[in-house]
Amino acid sequence: MPPSANIALLQGTLDVLILKVLALEPMHGLGISRRIAQVTKDTFQVKPGSLFPALHRMEEAGWLSADWGESENNRRAKFYRLTKRGLRQLKQETDNWGRISAAMAGALEIP
Amino acid sequence: MQWLSSIWRNLFRKHAVDSTLDEEIRSYLQLLVDEKMAAGADSETARREAAIELGALETIKEQVRDIRRGALLEGLWTELRQSIRALRHNPGMAAMCALMLALGIGASTTIFSVFEAALLRPLPFRDAGRLVELVETRLDRGMSEVAFSEADFWDLHDRTKSFERVAAYHNNEANLTDGQPEKVSAPQVTVEFFRTLGVAPVLGRDFSADEGRANVAILGNKFWKTRYGGNANILGKVLRLSDRSYTVVGVLPAGEPWIDDQVYLPYPHRPNADRSSWEFNAVGRLATGVTPEAAKTELQRLAELLAAANPKEDKGLGFDFLPSRRWIAPDSTRTALRFLLVAVGILALIACVNVANLLLARGLARQREIAVRIALGAARARLVRFVMLESLVLCTLGAVLGLALAAACVHVLRTAEIPGIPRLDEVGLYPWVLYFTAGITLITSLLCGLAPALQTPAQGIATALRESDRQAGASRRQGRLRSMLVTAEVALAFLLLVSAGLVLRSFQGLLNGHRGFETTHRLMFSLSYPDSYGENGRGKQFVDSFLEKLSANPEITSSGAVNVRPVEGPNFGMGIDAASHSFASGSPPWAGWRIITPGYLRAVGLPLLGGRNFNETDKPVWAERGQAPPSHRTVMLSSALAKLLFPNEDPVGKHTLLWKGQGGLDAEVVGVVGDSLERGLDHGAALTVYLPYGRVGVPSEFVIETRGDPMAVVPSVRAVIKRLDPNLPLADIRTFDDVVSLSVSSQRMNSVVLVTFSGFALLLASLGIYGVLSYSVSRRTSEIGLRMALGASESSILRITVGQGLLPVLVGITIGGAIAAWLSRYLKSLLFGVQPFDLSTYAAVSALLFVTAALACFVPCRRAMRTDPAIALRLE
Repeated sequence: MPPSANIALLQGTLDVLILKVLALEPMHGLGISRRIAQVTKDTFQVKPGSLFPALHRMEEAGWLSADWGESENNRRAKFYRLTKRGLRQLKQETDNWGRISAAMAGALEIP
Repeated sequence: MQWLSSIWRNLFRKHAVDSTLDEEIRSYLQLLVDEKMAAGADSETARREAAIELGALETIKEQVRDIRRGALLEGLWTELRQSIRALRHNPGMAAMCALMLALGIGASTTIFSVFEAALLRPLPFRDAGRLVELVETRLDRGMSEVAFSEADFWDLHDRTKSFERVAAYHNNEANLTDGQPEKVSAPQVTVEFFRTLGVAPVLGRDFSADEGRANVAILGNKFWKTRYGGNANILGKVLRLSDRSYTVVGVLPAGEPWIDDQVYLPYPHRPNADRSSWEFNAVGRLATGVTPEAAKTELQRLAELLAAANPKEDKGLGFDFLPSRRWIAPDSTRTALRFLLVAVGILALIACVNVANLLLARGLARQREIAVRIALGAARARLVRFVMLESLVLCTLGAVLGLALAAACVHVLRTAEIPGIPRLDEVGLYPWVLYFTAGITLITSLLCGLAPALQTPAQGIATALRESDRQAGASRRQGRLRSMLVTAEVALAFLLLVSAGLVLRSFQGLLNGHRGFETTHRLMFSLSYPDSYGENGRGKQFVDSFLEKLSANPEITSSGAVNVRPVEGPNFGMGIDAASHSFASGSPPWAGWRIITPGYLRAVGLPLLGGRNFNETDKPVWAERGQAPPSHRTVMLSSALAKLLFPNEDPVGKHTLLWKGQGGLDAEVVGVVGDSLERGLDHGAALTVYLPYGRVGVPSEFVIETRGDPMAVVPSVRAVIKRLDPNLPLADIRTFDDVVSLSVSSQRMNSVVLVTFSGFALLLASLGIYGVLSYSVSRRTSEIGLRMALGASESSILRITVGQGLLPVLVGITIGGAIAAWLSRYLKSLLFGVQPFDLSTYAAVSALLFVTAALACFVPCRRAMRTDPAIALRLE
């Protein structure tokens, strides 16, 4: 399913996904985008046009930090990693999502 | 601190941010291409598909930039707006704070601008760190800085290996007689002088190596501009200087020292130079790779060689050098300026404490609001940042006002002339001064914000919320903080007041001391004689007829001449001893010698204490060229010198040995003259030998006693001189009062500045005390009402409240006194006739502070007591 306008409605979705993905290991931009596609079973295809602004915004907010490093095929790439504050943010957002999705599921009577 | 690093990144490293972003996107694209090719696409297709997937490159970059900027502005702007809004709610307090800070920052900036010009601005010479001034020493005679003799200089010049170059400068004056006659400073310098300093003429050329005897001249920049209008055609012009012609070959750049004289003439390398008169200043440039220590060792070895070769003149000879940084300002000026900088720092600190106190008071009033905010989830860090930002806004406002104040002060300073403070006319708000202002603005905003930031409730939000705003004694912690601030303020004010008191007392001691001479109704001026006045008694003829013509003027009551102007002139000295017996203890005294006309003593107001004054029969102590030495020499001694040489004897009629150790001339004492502060007000009674004038000793400094305003006789004096010799320049016309007052102007400046500072400090401190007490009393209004309703007397309540207000003041006075006693020894070099721990000054300052504080306390307490107990109680 291609990314659609519906998904953009859920504000903060991309942020949580990025935080979640980076919680496992530091990753570069393309890696993040591919991993999100993988874990969401291709529901979210993150385009550079939304990925870069998000990454930089989160870096400004102090959730991520970035360093230059070598990619798996020896290319120079900017790797993002989760900061302590980012980890806290992830926990908080995860809780929120849990509550929201439970509430939504209940309301919409999804079994 | 996230936003600080963000500001840093975005404002100052914008370019770097952009280029990393570029690189990041490029690497993303590359990885994308790699991925496609790994999936089997050929490189062309892979590249195309990757580019499509990436999308519009510029749009992405723009979005990222927006986000970065947004994050920065959002954080900063909202908080800035908040703090400005908060300040606007309370314009009176904001204005008060800004004014106090403006005072502190403005005063600091002004003092620093003087400091910068005098001590920090670099010398106009290439690699000035390697430049030194060379001096001779005669440590066996206790002299650590003597000028060079010509022969010693050339010996050093020819033999030293530690110096790339050495050069000498010989003070000299000349009469410039084309056009308006003018006395100009025309030092003679060895041809390498400017090359040694590392300056090149801005116009024309330097002296060449073989020009030692050439009639060429180089002009100083200022002289070139004022006398010749900065005309480039000056090169090749012939100047008449003291009846000789010199061709101008170059013009120096502007600057100082060494290159700010008017005309420079070359000085030749002479093989049989004089070794016994010390008249040459020497500068040297250390060779690269030579340490000062190594150079000193070499100089010491050279000095020993010279002393061995010339035992008569060079006994005890040594060499030393002084770093070039001392050329602009002597150590005494450095000390004085550093001291003023510390003083102004203290004033700024007091202003900070006051502002902190006001912010604290305002914070107390907002205690509940802040507690509510915290309860609603505001991060504590955010509140601290808010307080800090508020203080930054205030300090910036203060800095802007302070800069305006400093600009006004600097404008006044530039026109002032204070001997001892160099480059005052070049003071300005230059970059370094502005960096300094920016620095202290940041520091003050930190200091001002610190106390209020600490006060944001760390514990017990619930307590803060519960606490009634008027509950007495509830915020004991904050109360203690404020009392501590008052203590600090009083202690700092004490320091300033004590130093001002000490410096003022010392200055008044200087002015009111017994001077010996009379300064009122006295005019002084100097004449510069051409060389021809030294021949055939022409000089004496001139002086005699000039003084005679002056005495015909009914406005002039007496007149005389001397070779060195009292108080501000240089000193010429000699070793002197009684002829009959050797000086009892140690080496014989070193006394200044002055050549005077008989009328000088009366003109300058010196009394004759014994014997007789000089008259026609007294002749100079030196022989005229080609004549036999005088058979009978006569001198007068100052009273102190006479007592030293002839204790318990009548000195009149006794014989002395002049220039002992340098030939020695026998002379009879004919008179004893009253002591005077001839070397300056801070020098004590001078030891002086008075020598009679004559054909070989023609004094050129004139003193005239007048009936009325001394300056009023200047035109007639000028006319008399013009009739006698139209080519004779008249210079340094001043009243004796002005001469004396100018000689203490750096002390006067110190006192004026310090008294002003301490006045402000006192004002600020009393404002602070008043503020704290009126707040705490207003919080206790109901308590006071209750006490009064229960029958407490007014005086007992006054005792409690005023006592509470005065306690921190007393602690402050004690602490301030202890610190002042400890620090005041650094003040010693600035004081004259006053001990650093002068008990009466300390007592007076304590009393002044105490009384001011008591008044500041009394006002709010009185107001509280006037309130009707019924109303006061209802406030609860």
